[in-house]
Amino acid sequence: MCGFNELKNAGVGIARQGGLGSNVAEALVRMGVGKLIIADFDVVEAGNLNRQNYFLDQVGRGKTDACIENLARISAETEIVGQTIRLTAENIPQVFAGADVVAECFDRADQKRMLAETVLSKMPRTAVVTVSGLAGYGRSNEIRTSQLGPRLALVGDQISEAAPGVPLTAGRVGVAAYHQANAIAEILIDRKNIQGF
Amino acid sequence: MEFSLKINGVEQKFAEDIPSTLTELLKRLKIDQATVVAEVDGQVIARIDFEKTPLASGSSIELVRFVGGG
Repeated sequence: MCGFNELKNAGVGIARQGGLGSNVAEALVRMGVGKLIIADFDVVEAGNLNRQNYFLDQVGRGKTDACIENLARISAETEIVGQTIRLTAENIPQVFAGADVVAECFDRADQKRMLAETVLSKMPRTAVVTVSGLAGYGRSNEIRTSQLGPRLALVGDQISEAAPGVPLTAGRVGVAAYHQANAIAEILIDRKNIQGF
Repeated sequence: MEFSLKINGVEQKFAEDIPSTLTELLKRLKIDQATVVAEVDGQVIARIDFEKTPLASGSSIELVRFVGGG
């Protein structure tokens, strides 16, 4: 099958398991990515369940542990390495060492910048797929994927910021997460054709 | 002397208040330094180096801005 081996032999880092990361992880396991490295420090809260891939009985659990539990129910084909850790510019290269691609799944804009900058400047063999602009309802087609360079892709409408009255919802967060998973698959399958990777 | 920068693929000319560093350019564009990844001529510039990154006319600059939500 086209792309199967490229995905099977790949390692993908997922920086946080919130609305984006918990859904990206599920998609990548279903697509047959060989190894996932997931990292978060947070716990599942009831308010997360409107968009994050967890369940009522997991409220209060660590997100990394809960995510591993859910992924193991989907497939045994993906090796999952999880760390309960607060990601920083200092520890990101170690936590995601060996990853072919890292998915930026942070909530805060400055943290998104930190992750992208760290991967691009300190991990020369690793690509990063970032997300900017996904809050609110509707406008699915305004969420798009832009390949900005051989190691950088950006998903989102680049405008819609989460704010009071502009909530994060399963619809748009889900659209963005699946764009992200799909962009990661494309990078993994096509990278032998990409100069500078 | 004409000073121009290619910002995200679009050429911009500066006649006065020429931005001599990345920090000055971002201030002029009203972009929050905390939420942007910047590349100058293909090189990613760490945020702490924005102030000491000089810009020359003809430089190609890529700016990736982030808004919150995830």
